[in-house]
Amino acid sequence: MSDEGRVLNETIHQSTRLRIMTLLVYQPSADRVAYGFVQQTLGLTGGNLTIHLRKLEEAGYIAMTKEFVDAKPRTWVRATPEGLRAFADYLGNLQRALHMSPEGDGG
Amino acid sequence: MDAAHRETGGPSPKESWDSIQETLERTRSSMYVAGSATILVVSGAMAAVGLLAEYAIATWGSELRADYPWISAPLWLALVAVMMVANSVIGSRAGQRAAPGESSRSAGMRVFFFWLAVAAAAFTLPGVAGAWTGEDSAAETLRTVIGIIGLGYVLFGIMVRPTVAVIGVGIVAAFFAPSYLLDDAALAVSAALILVVSVAGMLWLRKSGTP
Repeated sequence: MSDEGRVLNETIHQSTRLRIMTLLVYQPSADRVAYGFVQQTLGLTGGNLTIHLRKLEEAGYIAMTKEFVDAKPRTWVRATPEGLRAFADYLGNLQRALHMSPEGDGG
Repeated sequence: MDAAHRETGGPSPKESWDSIQETLERTRSSMYVAGSATILVVSGAMAAVGLLAEYAIATWGSELRADYPWISAPLWLALVAVMMVANSVIGSRAGQRAAPGESSRSAGMRVFFFWLAVAAAAFTLPGVAGAWTGEDSAAETLRTVIGIIGLGYVLFGIMVRPTVAVIGVGIVAAFFAPSYLLDDAALAVSAALILVVSVAGMLWLRKSGTP
């Protein structure tokens, strides 16, 4: 990882988990989204998504709940307040890293 | 790329920034197209019913058309009203299943008003041109209506997901090609082709990850 990357949160910086967290923080007030919506939107396999969701859950950045809707099990995912804070910190560090990086200003 | 490699290599800050932008765009797009695969088939089926009704009137109801030259207007008004209500319910349910929050509701309302505006334009523009009540203008009126609805698909696709724009072009082609290449059977063939394009579009949207 580059020098700039060392200041970035390792849990969030992984590319799939970064996309998952981005999708979740897009929801105002940390609204929940369906597991299937995350999978379809990001084009992930179920196994891959589950692995990364568990890592984010272990870090306390997301919460998963299960409930039955029309007698069918449904899994919901949402960012926790801790996850929102961690993502905001990550974004701040990423912007600093972009300004230090010769790659550009990040659009 | 597998997760283990990413763990050790990690994306650069620029790659991460680009990934965030792409994911935000993809998430927004997914909310706007929630339920659109089913909606496409419902719309295609309603359009096919309308075209078959026009075919029946043109083939067996010439006296009806002579007595009531505006007969197409209430026919399409009823079909589009049913389509708008059905599609609103389908879109709302799909949005609630995917992401039952404010961003999903907001996206659903924008999509509804976009298509309401397209439907209103498809009716009022031929209306103000006097086409709905004109004699011998049924074919031209229908071409205008389908053209405006096709434009709606293309604009929506350009703004939200290019797949929808391509399907819109397919729907327009499915209607216009028979109308210029065939004579009496054109409307019936168009009805069948629009249904085929709608089902193919539904499968394409589902395959490309539309919620």
